[in-house]
Amino acid sequence: MNPSFKLILIILISFEISFTRSLITNCLLIIICLLYLIINKIPTKTLGIILLVPIVPAVALSITIAFFTPAHDYHFALVLFTRMFAYVLLGTSFTLINSPLELARSLEQNLNLPSKFAYGSLAAFGVLPKMRLTILTLQKAALMRGIRLSFWSPKLYFKALLIALNWSDELAQAMISHGYVEDTARTYAHKISIKHTDWLYLLVPLFIIQPLLLMLP
Amino acid sequence: MNLSNHYHVRDIIFVTLIGIAFGAIFISTNFIYNFLTVILTPMGLAPMANDINMGIWVMAGPLTGFILRKPGAGFLGEFLAAVGEMFFGGQWGASTLISGTIQGLAAELGFTLTGYKLYNWFSLTLSCLTTTIITFGWDMFKNGYTEFSFNLLILLFIVRFISIFFFGGILTKMIAALLDRSHVLTKFGGTNV
Repeated sequence: MNPSFKLILIILISFEISFTRSLITNCLLIIICLLYLIINKIPTKTLGIILLVPIVPAVALSITIAFFTPAHDYHFALVLFTRMFAYVLLGTSFTLINSPLELARSLEQNLNLPSKFAYGSLAAFGVLPKMRLTILTLQKAALMRGIRLSFWSPKLYFKALLIALNWSDELAQAMISHGYVEDTARTYAHKISIKHTDWLYLLVPLFIIQPLLLMLP
Repeated sequence: MNLSNHYHVRDIIFVTLIGIAFGAIFISTNFIYNFLTVILTPMGLAPMANDINMGIWVMAGPLTGFILRKPGAGFLGEFLAAVGEMFFGGQWGASTLISGTIQGLAAELGFTLTGYKLYNWFSLTLSCLTTTIITFGWDMFKNGYTEFSFNLLILLFIVRFISIFFFGGILTKMIAALLDRSHVLTKFGGTNV
């Protein structure tokens, strides 16, 4: 399925389940996403970790709704519980299967996103692991001088911004030296097309889910 | 005029990197969120962990809007941070993108209301206020806030505003002052705090 279409579908469904209260539809979405991930050979261990991630907020929120609100709405508590898992599984159905590069290419070619946004943000996402390490290094280096840079310390953010500024210069130069020119027409080595089946994959699930969301409890 | 004309590829990389750097910082605060949630749940105040942490999650918006001073900067800073968070394993999956869009638009609105001409405590506070109101409205649906009693809602709203004002207002102003003193942002026109 075309990555842009898939993302649109996932966002639309996530948006709709935020405003509706259908427990059965949430469960169906969870099952479909799990099946989709299993068919695509996502390891069971990864699936397990994904299912653990929303546990704390999901349990806490449903306990609050069920026992500490005036209405004691157990059904809604379960809706919220399953909704969290539906969000995460819908998200991972995209992120574990489609890469940021595929998405950037598709957004540029299919949805006419200016290439500087597609590749500029892609270049920045490329250094994400390095950024995590660098922030840790900053904090450790400060600790060696007896200074604690916590998340409420303006100095930590200031240093992080300096790094962002330097790296953005370097990355932009690297792109330019590889022949990237912004705001010009580009040719594509990898063409991503929109097929008729992509429209089907987008519209059929949307048509199916509307009555389910409205009618199922 | 096309909005994207104001942005060069370097600006876009810079804004994305700000989001990523802040994401890297607030990932280290996830344990605070989980800890607060566990403590507050028996008191029936679990959603408050959300409101206490809100400021850290949304500060990229007011900050980029305030230091870059371009239409769209507040939105982009917050939205691109959310895209990064979704791809690199956030706690909220696909809803991160929706929340990121809403938070970004909310932060942007504060600067839009002043016509992108005013960059002082007033516009920053306004941005914090629009962020509080709009994200709170979104949580009415997403996190079931409609079920809570009126008093609890008032309490959560105030806690959320304090959190957003601390991180998006006070901290942003302090960071901007540091940037101004170092003159690193002269190529963006300077922050002139």
